[in-house]
Amino acid sequence: MNYYYKVIMKRILIPACIAATGMVAAMVYAGTDPVIVTPIGAGTGTSSFIQMNDAFTGDWQQYGQTFTNLQAGLFDQLFLVILTLIPAVFLLHYILIGAKHFDHEGEDVYFFSSTTRLIHWVAAVSFSLLVVTGLMIIFGKLLGGGTLIMGGRIVHIASALVFAVAAVFMFLIWLKDMLPMPYDIAWLFIMGGYLSKKKKPIPAGKFNAGQKMWFWLATVGGLVMAYTGWYLYTFQVTTDQLRILAIIHNFLGAAMIAMFLVHLYMSMFAIKGALTSMITGYKPREEVEILHSRYKI
Amino acid sequence: MGRMKFLCDVERCIDCSGCVVACKEGNQIPVGVNRRRVITINQGKPGEKSISVACMHCADAPCIAVCPVDAIYQRDDGIVLVSKETCIGCGYCFMACPFGAPQFPSGQVFGARGAMDKCTFCAGGPEENFSEKERKLYGQNRIAEGKVPLCAAMCATKSLLAGDADIVADVYRERVFKRGSGSNAWGWDKAYKKK
Ligand code: HEM
Ligand code: HEM
Ligand code: SF4
Ligand code: SF4
Repeated sequence: MNYYYKVIMKRILIPACIAATGMVAAMVYAGTDPVIVTPIGAGTGTSSFIQMNDAFTGDWQQYGQTFTNLQAGLFDQLFLVILTLIPAVFLLHYILIGAKHFDHEGEDVYFFSSTTRLIHWVAAVSFSLLVVTGLMIIFGKLLGGGTLIMGGRIVHIASALVFAVAAVFMFLIWLKDMLPMPYDIAWLFIMGGYLSKKKKPIPAGKFNAGQKMWFWLATVGGLVMAYTGWYLYTFQVTTDQLRILAIIHNFLGAAMIAMFLVHLYMSMFAIKGALTSMITGYKPREEVEILHSRYKI
Repeated sequence: MGRMKFLCDVERCIDCSGCVVACKEGNQIPVGVNRRRVITINQGKPGEKSISVACMHCADAPCIAVCPVDAIYQRDDGIVLVSKETCIGCGYCFMACPFGAPQFPSGQVFGARGAMDKCTFCAGGPEENFSEKERKLYGQNRIAEGKVPLCAAMCATKSLLAGDADIVADVYRERVFKRGSGSNAWGWDKAYKKK
């Protein structure tokens, strides 16, 4: 009897009492600690959800939605307008006013050194590829997507590397000649003289205000494109930053294409023979005296 | 046909990452791609919560709106799928997505992004059902077999619910009622509210 009593006490009652005391203690403790008594779930809702949003993709309402709306509706239309409107305006200019011709038989002036020409053509080829492949991505639907456009992306990345280097050299080579001058304002007022066929001396140094604008957009803008493009390639930033960078890359890309088209028209059509100067380095003396009247030959 | 939805019950998820492993293994996903991820906030502090998120298969999916080559499409049951042979890996869908769902394996040249990969709701892809090509490119097609996605099927706490939207919502509503808390399911507003 005594034996069984001891066993029961030791094996059952005492552990049971300890357990019961523990439970009571836990309940009392729980009563004082709101974390445990609050029904699970009461702490959720906006605050923790906001933290979770941050952990995934940042502030979607602000940047995600903006990016989505722009990319879904605006960007391809913007590029379409630029690609049709600017050539149309130039076609009109070519028909109504026409190209400027200068005497290519007379004396020539050495205008572009061989290094300058080399850098320019490296930039020109790589940038042309960037424009074509960039537009391939933007209008990918029309080409059906897939391997072709994926290849375009690869070419875009390769050309970006070449162009970024060329842009730095171009910046350094031409910086001195491209600084803004007071007479640039006068040039802007007469629209560079392109609206008339008269050969009056036009206020410009080695480069006119229009060329300067292209220079700054091409070099500084080009490097911004390289910077934004680099992160679009690596993706090593937050999602919100990616959205902003993509928006910049697209808007600036649109501006660059617009000015690129202007540059093409001016150098290939509007001034007859300008293309030769970037190949041989020589310009007709008459052209320099009229279009770059402030340039000391 | 029902409308398929995911729901992760934040009160139940215990950060075991079983769903992530099941998805990766079951669909033989390329290295560096996680179709499903689990994140924990306030780790080790009061208010610690975990959640498992993949693609939510949104209504009015932003990814579809931004894709420049129309590689993404939505089935009648709401499941959003990508055609990897059309995708050009531009990354726009990732930037548009509110849940960071689109993922990119690194490609062959310059390590540039390859075709986008994301949760398929275990419904394969645009290829023929159960074809070898479908399995290779997109993983299993459990929906065509009449099963729920792997992740939800194996979730030990049944935190992760997947399936017909009405049933999922009912289960969750009942749980919320029993627990006495009145919170909405995370992500549902963003993913499914009609704009
Ligand atoms: C001016 C015309 C250009 C256009 C229309 C253009 C357009 C694009 C487009 C549509 C993309 C796809 C990704 C995105 O936008 O988020 C892209 C990506 C990129 N761009 Fe450009 N771009 C241009 C110029 C440049 C320039 C000048 C550079 C650099 C020097 C550059 C470097 C890049 C890089 C590195 C990427 C990421 C490639 C990738 O991983 O997909 N782009 N560009
Ligand atoms: C295939 C396309 C291109 C052609 C045919 C071309 C042609 C020319 C020509 C003929 C000139 C000499 C203009 C003159 O002084 O009369 C010139 C100048 C210049 N080019 Fe280009 N170019 C091209 C692309 C580019 C690109 C991509 C850039 C820069 C990113 C660029 C930047 C410049 C600059 C800064 C000048 C000097 C200022 C000016 O004339 O506007 N060019 N180009
Ligand atoms: S969660 Fe992201 S990837 Fe999935 S449908 Fe919505 S926007 Fe598209
Ligand atoms: S990465 Fe592919 S699916 Fe995503 S937006 Fe670009 S092309 Fe479309």
